Amino acid sequence: MAASVVPETDSIRRAVLLLNAVDPGRFPRLLSRLLQRLHLKAETSFSEEEEEKLQIAFSLEKQDLHLVLEAISFILEQAVYHNLKPASLQQQLQSIHLDQDKAEAFANAWAAGGQETIEKFRQRVLTPQKLETIGWQLNLQMSASTQAKLKSPRAVLELGVSNEDSKNLKKVFVEFSHQELFEFYNKLETIQAQLDSLT
Amino acid sequence: MAAVAVGKAAGAAYGHGESSGGSGGFLGPRVPAEVEAMARGLQEVGKETFRRLLKVTVNALEGKDCKDSVKLIAESTDLSEEQLAFLISGMYTLLREALRLPLSTFKQEVFKEDLKELRIPEDFITDFSSIVFGNRRPVSEGTALMQASRLPNVQDFKWRVDVAISTSSLARALQPSILMLMKLSDGTAHRFEVPVAKFQELRYNVALILKEMNDLEKRSILKIQD
Repeated sequence: MAASVVPETDSIRRAVLLLNAVDPGRFPRLLSRLLQRLHLKAETSFSEEEEEKLQIAFSLEKQDLHLVLEAISFILEQAVYHNLKPASLQQQLQSIHLDQDKAEAFANAWAAGGQETIEKFRQRVLTPQKLETIGWQLNLQMSASTQAKLKSPRAVLELGVSNEDSKNLKKVFVEFSHQELFEFYNKLETIQAQLDSLT
Repeated sequence: MAAVAVGKAAGAAYGHGESSGGSGGFLGPRVPAEVEAMARGLQEVGKETFRRLLKVTVNALEGKDCKDSVKLIAESTDLSEEQLAFLISGMYTLLREALRLPLSTFKQEVFKEDLKELRIPEDFITDFSSIVFGNRRPVSEGTALMQASRLPNVQDFKWRVDVAISTSSLARALQPSILMLMKLSDGTAHRFEVPVAKFQELRYNVALILKEMNDLEKRSILKIQD
């Protein structure tokens, strides 16, 4: 990694100064918290109340606190992007003049939760809709208003599709006869064969 | 048609099945009002007019639009609107209920007997019979199947397997993902991504349902005689 992962912009320099001045006691907890929430997109990590508490705890003004939180998030996102080793991360941070104890705290937090965070990012999808739940029911249809004496097995698949915007799961109900389900299964097998050929 | 269904069940319980045990036979002990009205009305209808009415009814059963044909009949005969209404609806109900029953257990002789009980004129009985047991039956059956109440089924299923090499969050992602597009018979289309783990779950569940369907089809419940 020749190029520095964290560029030395003005905001970064200012953030480093602030970070160095911050009380090292609560720092590791702050890092882990931010690391855990990193993969969640639009949400800010802290509520109004929590932010006020942080301001007091780290004796930072509101603006400065935001700068510090953003800088930490940025550093962690870069670590994810480049899949940095903890030692590498520590080195990079020290080269932009972050104090050793703080750089070490970063490395430790990253070593503890880094892989899990990377995996969460891997699972993130770009499409707004994702299959979340699968439910099903097997029925034996005996009769209908249009046909008597059927005895036809029918499966109903309930697919729960999430939409990025809304919190609700859209339930899609699909009915299959034996033949239809068999054809569907064959298509799934084809997909599986494709997946297998990737490894 | 709940009354008819209950009627049939009651008839079967007494061991009558589809035979003419009680008025109506295959229609059950309580013959629908429009069928009775139609049977009475047919006494005064000529063969030509009957054939035209039958044609309209069959078209309706096959899912075609018949507004114009009905208007034509109304204009060219001296039947009142009310008479036309119960004649056509009676014929429609009679045929629809007869078409519901599978050919394996419902025989032509029984059908003709039942119609005789309703006092429908002889030559009209022959015409009715040819609709139910003739070679145009599959067409009405096909329409019935399409109109049956059911949840939507898959009309078209498209998919693709992608591998994300790099994303804005990860320089080296190498993560496979599956995109599915399902078009259903009710016109809706659903496009969604399926994570690989979820796909395995889907595949497992579908295989499980197929196995249960096979088991169900082998079990004795399906060997119950009609």
